[in-house]
This record gives sequence, C-alpha cells and structure tokens, in this order.
Amino acid sequence: MCGITGYIGDGIALDDGESAANDGATGDAAGDGGRFARVGGIVHEGLRNLEYRGYDSAGVALVGEASGLTVAKRSGEVDNLTVPDVADAALGIGHTRWSTHGPPTDENAHPHTDCVGDVAVVHNGIVENHEALKTELSDHEFTSDTDTEVIPHLIEEELAAASGAGGLLDAVRAVESRLEGSYAICAVRDGDDRIVVARRGSPLVLGHDEDATFVASDVTAFLEHTRDVTYLEDGDVASLSAEGVEVYADGELVDRETETVTWEADAAEKGGYEHYMRKEIHEQPESLRQTIAGRLDVDAGDADLDVSFPPGFLADLEEIQIVACGTSNYAGRYAAQLFEDLSGVRATVETASEYEFGAGRSADRTLVVAVTQSGETADTLGAIRRANAAGARTFAVTNTLGSTVTREVDDTAFIRAGPEIGVAATKTFASQVATLTMLAVGIGRERGALGAADARPVLEGLRDLPGAVQQVLDAEPKVREAANEYGDSEAFFFVGRQLGVPVALEGALKLKEISYDHAEGFAAGELKHGPLALVTPDTPVLAVLTDGSRADETMNNVTEAQTRGAPAIGCVSAGEEYATLDVSLPVPDVGLVEPLVANVYLQLFAYHVANDKGRSIDKPRNLAKSVTVE
Amino acid sequence: MGSESVTAVILAAGEGRRLTPLTNRRPKPMVPVANRPLLEHVVEAITATAIDRIVLVVGYEQERIRNHFGDGDDWGVTIEYVEQSTQLGTGHAVLQAEPVVDGPFVVLNGDRIVDPAVVSQVRDRAIDDDLPAMAVTTAANPRQYGVVTLDGDRVTDIDEKPEGAVETNQINAGVYAFSPAVFDAIRETHVAGELAITATLDDLAATETLSAVRYDGRWLDVSNLWDLLTVNAALIGDSGASDADGPTFGDSVTVADDAALAGNVRVGPNVTIGGSTAVGSNATVEAGAVVENAVIFPDAVIGAGAVVRDAIVAGNARIGPNATVAGGPATVVVGDAVHRGVELGGVVGDNATVGSGATLADGAVVGDDVTADAGVVIDGRIESGAVVRRG
Repeated sequence: MCGITGYIGDGIALDDGESAANDGATGDAAGDGGRFARVGGIVHEGLRNLEYRGYDSAGVALVGEASGLTVAKRSGEVDNLTVPDVADAALGIGHTRWSTHGPPTDENAHPHTDCVGDVAVVHNGIVENHEALKTELSDHEFTSDTDTEVIPHLIEEELAAASGAGGLLDAVRAVESRLEGSYAICAVRDGDDRIVVARRGSPLVLGHDEDATFVASDVTAFLEHTRDVTYLEDGDVASLSAEGVEVYADGELVDRETETVTWEADAAEKGGYEHYMRKEIHEQPESLRQTIAGRLDVDAGDADLDVSFPPGFLADLEEIQIVACGTSNYAGRYAAQLFEDLSGVRATVETASEYEFGAGRSADRTLVVAVTQSGETADTLGAIRRANAAGARTFAVTNTLGSTVTREVDDTAFIRAGPEIGVAATKTFASQVATLTMLAVGIGRERGALGAADARPVLEGLRDLPGAVQQVLDAEPKVREAANEYGDSEAFFFVGRQLGVPVALEGALKLKEISYDHAEGFAAGELKHGPLALVTPDTPVLAVLTDGSRADETMNNVTEAQTRGAPAIGCVSAGEEYATLDVSLPVPDVGLVEPLVANVYLQLFAYHVANDKGRSIDKPRNLAKSVTVE
Repeated sequence: MGSESVTAVILAAGEGRRLTPLTNRRPKPMVPVANRPLLEHVVEAITATAIDRIVLVVGYEQERIRNHFGDGDDWGVTIEYVEQSTQLGTGHAVLQAEPVVDGPFVVLNGDRIVDPAVVSQVRDRAIDDDLPAMAVTTAANPRQYGVVTLDGDRVTDIDEKPEGAVETNQINAGVYAFSPAVFDAIRETHVAGELAITATLDDLAATETLSAVRYDGRWLDVSNLWDLLTVNAALIGDSGASDADGPTFGDSVTVADDAALAGNVRVGPNVTIGGSTAVGSNATVEAGAVVENAVIFPDAVIGAGAVVRDAIVAGNARIGPNATVAGGPATVVVGDAVHRGVELGGVVGDNATVGSGATLADGAVVGDDVTADAGVVIDGRIESGAVVRRG
C-alpha cells in the first residue's frame, strides 16, 4: 500500500519536448543547453508513477557530497510535495504513503530520520515488534507515530556501536535481523555514497540502467528508463553504489538473476481518457483476448493453462479452497460454482484474512487457489503461507509476473490483463473469472468429470466473450443515461442468483468504492429476508437476469422490490424480455459467462454515477490499489 | 517553437456513412485493413518521418480512437486529442486544432493511406515556410476527387468532384502544410453548409499563394466498402505475413503467403486461407472453411465448411457452417448511387449471425446485429438489427 522508490546515478538527459520532471529539480547539468533531470526530479517522477499504491503523504531524501542529507516530506498527494533542488545530489529515495500506523501528517510521512539527522529511511510494510524496539531505544527522540521510525534509530545505534566501521550496509544487515514483520526498506546516510535496501515480505525490485540504478516497490516507477530488472528475494540486503549492485543473503554475496520486463510502460498510462478506470473498462475486449489467447481448444473441448499437477493429484482431489480479498474474492465466488459444476470438486471460498486450514481436511487432497491481482496482497499471502504450512498444494491466479505470490505457490496461472492502475479493479476481475473458468474446464476434463461436448459451449462462451463485452461497451450511452437518472438515489441494491450473486456483490462494491454511495449486493432470494425493509422508490434495484443466474426467479424478487416502488434496472440475456423493467440492458448470448458480461454494465453504471458526482475515481478516498498490510 | 518542430494534425472525427454498417459503432478511421485500423497506417506514415507530435481531431465514436492510441507511446510519438463535437466539415475540424498548434503544421486525413515520403515533403515545405502547401497526386478517376490546376508549382484552381470532362488527372492528395494563419483564412471562408478545408484552399489558390507538392507514391482511399478489399490487399502485399506469435493451426491447413493472421487466431483443420486475406485478433476459422480476398475483423467466427470470398466480416460476426459468400462482380447500391461491376462478395456487419447453409448473393450487405436463419438467401441490403427468416 505504500510505494518506495530510489535512484543513484548522474541524472537523465531529457528529450526535446519532454516535460521537466518537476520543480527546480531539473537543470542544465552539462552546461550545453540540454535539459536534464536531476536525482530529485527522477525520484519525484518515480513517486508519481507509484502514486496508485498510496497517496496520503509523500517524501524524499537526497544525499550529496557537499549538501549532505536533505529531507522533504509532507501529507497530501505527490504533486503537492516540493522537491528541493539539490544540485550535487548523487542519490535519493522517496516514499508515497497510505497510512496504517498514525494519521497522514507531515511528521508521519516518510522518510524518517535518526536523532542527529544523518540517516533517512523509507519503509513499506509493518514492523510488528516496533513497540518492544522503541522501549529499548528509550534514549532516542521519536517524532512520529509510525512503526517505521525505529529503523533509522536502530541504524544509528549500530553505526555508533561499530564506530561506523562497517558503514551503512553492515548497520542495515544488523538491524534487519532484529525486525519482525514484513517490510521493504531503503536507507541512506550523510557521507555515504550508497543506498542500502532490504526486503522481507514486501516487494522490492531493482532496475539497471547505464551508470545508474533504480529501486522501487514496483517496476512501473522506472519502466520508462530501464526494462532490465532484478527482483530481490526475502531476506536479501543490497547495496547500490555508483559501481553497481551487490546483493547479500545470509551474509553471503549472491547473484540474483536480471530479467527483462516485456510489457509496455505506456500500457500503464491513461492516454486520451479522463480516468484510468474508464480506460480499463474499455480495454476489456483486448485484455480478454490476451487472457484466452492460445489457451482454448474448442474442437477438443479443452483449455490449457500450461500447468501440470502431479500424477493422480486431480483424480484424488476432494476440495478446492479459494482464498482472496475484495474483488478477487468475488471472482473466486464465481469460480467456486464452476469448479463444482464443471470440475466435479467441492469448492469453497474463504476471505483470505480469515482463512485457516481447518480440521477434517486432507492436505494432500486439497488445492488452495489464491486469487490476487497484484500478487502482493498481504492477507492472501498470509493465507497461502498457512496453506503451505498445512501441506496443501497451492496455486495462484494473478496478473503480476515475478510477484511474491508466484514464489510461494506450487503453480501459477497468469491472467494477462496488463497493468491496472485504477484502484477499482475492472478488467482484472473479468480476466480472473475467464482464467478460473479455463482452470475449471481443464481440471474437469482431466478428472473425467466433464465431457468434451459439455465443455464446448463453455469454451465457445469464453471465445465469444471479447466480442460480447465490446457490445456492452457500445451500449455505454444507455448506461450513462441510467446513471444520470438514478445516480442521486438514496441507496442501491444489486441482486442475482447463482453466478449472478458474485456479480451483484462486485457491482455493489464498485459503486461503494468510487461513488461513496450506499450499495449492497446479495442473493436475490435474500431480499425478502430483510433488505426489503430498506426498499423505497428511492432505492433502485440492479439485477443480473442472464443465463447462469436463474433469471426468472430473480425477476420475481425484483418484482417484489418494484411493488414497493423501487425502480429496476436489469441486465437481460439477448432475446429475453421483462416488460416491467425500467431499464433493460441486453447481454449477448455467451452462456455461463453472461453474468461476467453483465458485470461490465455495472462497472459502467458505477463509473458514470461517480463521474456525475465528480468523485476522485482513480484514487478513491481511504483506498489503495494493492493492500500489502494485513 | 523552433522551425524544425512541426505538428501533424490528423482529421479523424468523421463518421464515414458510406461504409455502413461497419461505421455504425466505430469511426471510419478505425475500420481495420491488414489487421490494423486505417488511422494506424496513417499514424505510422507520420512516425516514419521526423514529426513526433500528433494531434488527433476526434468526434464520432471517439472512444475507439482514444482507447487504441492512448498517448502515443506505442508509436514513439506524443498524441494529443481535440474534439470536434459536431461534424461541420474538414475546415471546421482543422479549426479545432487551433488552441494546440502554435507553429507550422501538416494536416492529413485519418482514413487515407499515404507514404511517409509525402509527409516528409510537405513537412519540408512547412520548414521552408513556403505555406500554405498541398500535396498533389494523380488518379485514374480524378472526377471523384478535387481536380487541381497547376501553374508551375502554384495551385491555381481546385474543382471538387467536377461533373464534366477534366483536362488533368491531377488531384488533391489531402495532405497539407499550413501556418497558423490558415485559421483566419478558414474563418473568412464563406460557404453554404459544411465548412470544408477545400473551400479555403480554393480561396487560397485564387490568390496564387498555394504551393503544390508533387507526389506519385502510394495513395489509398477507402470511399466505398469494396475499396477495403483492394486497400487490404495492397497493404498485405507490402507487409506480408502473419504475427510472429503464431496462430493456432489444425492439421492440413493452407495459408497463402499474402495472408495476414493475427497471433491469437484459431484455424481449424483443412482450412484454406487464400491470398489478400486479413484475419483479426481472436477470430476463429473452423474446420474446412475457405476464406479468400477477405477482411475478417476481430472476434469473428467463420463456421465449418463455409466459403467466404471477396468479403468483409465485421467484429464478432458469425458465419454459420457451410454458409456461402461466393464472391465476384456485383451491383451495390450506396445511398442513391448504383455501382455496377464492383468486386464485392458481401459484407456482414458487427455481431450479425448468418445461419448455417445461408447464402449471400453477390454484393449483399448484412447490417450489424442482423440474425439470418439457416439456409436463407440474402440479397441487397439488410438493415441493422433485422431478422431474416426462411420462406
């Protein structure tokens, strides 16, 4: 949820016409009239690229030979931060924060420093034993409410104990062994020409450019400068200097592989759209084409995600447990029904933060599937670790190559949706469900639970999904009109049955997230067991009335609400008609994935309601894209 | 702004009514040929020159354009957008770029494919400050375009779609260079109806200040549906083969050298894909089908045993098993005009379904969202959303 970035190098020449990285941190370094981004400008730009990870405070620390250590930080968005123009800065680190310990204030913003102001640290994650450590540091002066602040003070102690002999690297290594929890750290020190970084449990990646090195929580921070990256592993401590990078694990110098990132940085830029969310909603036909590319064999009635299970594992499988949070959890609920229907396996969905490998299960006959867009969701990683500890086989469905979850599970299937920047997940939900549907077909076929003839219509539905979603997008004006008409209502109820239930939940979540309206999703049958008491002419009901969602029965429940005066908006299978609906949105015929297509209408509805109200759609209040704390 | 910095303004706001049903849900510049939108071919002609800033004038169904091109990073240029909210002519479209252009600029049409050479030539004219300038090319059928009269390198007259005989085959190629002074010239142009840039050019020609850039390279214009097939063929002939990623092929598939298949196309066994054929992303060609001289849009499905010749199959359309688009010369009515002897087997609009064993008579145009039952024979034009029943 927080973002870290850092840079060591001589600065970067700007192309003609490229916007200056920012305030005063650019200049004419070579004296030849060429424009030039200094270290401060590069770190600031990295923070902007990471702003989706957290944006309630930001700060930087710059180190120069003559200027020493300069720290600037404040609460508010990255753009509100003024990065000082330090002409001789040779290295810098930066941080964008999403508050966990302590409110978003200037004091609580990173970097944090030691008592004398020689050491500055940025940190992502949680130091669980910070209270105990703080007690030990009773003679140190603390200025913030954060858990992070113990780290620079511990470094100060280590440097003092060794009279500074081992320098920053040894100090960080010593401190790192005393921290409990999950973290990624970058530390700098006055008079030291290195950035020292450490990773345990929170992501950290290095970028290698000519005569320069980047570090960040996420490659999007520096992808415009280099594609050659090294993902650090848990327990790694690395020293970044002008000479290059040294990585240590357990005190030994180790080699970490350099990989080349192939996806495009521009895929993470919003282009001609006002909001990433709208762009990402509109990208769904193309992202779904990528999700299914090369994976469907309609003729053979099979889907191939290029994963193989040990011989006999699937045949003996008793249960699939899906662990996930938020939107991914709803994708999991969609998939659980398909695992039961198509794979013939009992399937359950657990909220990742609540998950325990319960008694009565046989670990070697259970597959635990983690669904996480970022692959860094702390709650989901925690669940996977508990499943691994219990001895279950684990599987990840994620969007992010090289993410932590991929290192912790036995097998991974990538959803190939491309980078998603809007905090509200849209295209990744669609690609998660599509990927899980292929997994359900693949497992069903291998177990002999699903014949080719029964698999084929499901695969045809997947094949036709991009075209069906395009048709929904083509109908956007109709959704905009509905959003315009009903957007000011008091509350919104989303209902469906079977596969329509997770879509109702997701539809309500989208509206809550970005428009801050009261929205609830539930199984249509539950309406009369309570929520109906809330229904008035000012509470529209949005219903999933498609294949796979028992449309006729759901419509009976919708009618119950209409009787109380509620307007009704329905996503209806093409060719079907419910004359009493106030708005009827047609869903093309794609069988079991029709509710997934209906969801695109609900995404557009949420977007336009929020947009009409002028909400901060890409960065809703209090929310962060990838939640890397538990 | 330095004299070397020239912006390209591309007019991409138009609807392209003559290409219905293909333009019912996408602007004409986004109609694909050789698996890429017309506009992308235009953008690439510009990026091959020294120009690195493009302003797209968008309007009708502009989201399709914005979503595809984003901020231009994929093409290594900066792309910005200005909106022409109502389509009041090409001159009016150029005016929309006024707030974002402060030096010499070139103007191109988003639906007309030219070589980088002409863009460079016109850009050079802008840098030499010999403005305004207009590219002039030759056409076999000049009366369909703006016929240009030259005096040396000056344009003295432009005659739009003249009715009678013409003395020259030189036409306006639709690539211009202007200084910002043109904005006032456009405002001062008095015309009834749409404010076309050619009207302003005609005024400028009368003052003998309009310089001509002679050009004899590629100039591909898509005026009518059947032009898509010839333009598609011409472009595939250039670019050759398919995506390196590799489509999925069944056994015994024949693919002509001059066919272009997107990387994630699925091709069943015993399929024949003939020359001058483009098959778009996520499209499926089922077992035994024959596809030849055709433009197949993304997500379309060509059913088993179907024959699709000289045809355009739009996005997500279904051609049922054993359906036939036989191909060959046809008579096609567009608006009030009757075109005889054009090479067009048939057109199937977006999301339309042609039932199994159905036949499209030569030149048939099936609207989008049409459902045609099995075994029907479709002739002429079927309106969007219609249901064609048997018997």
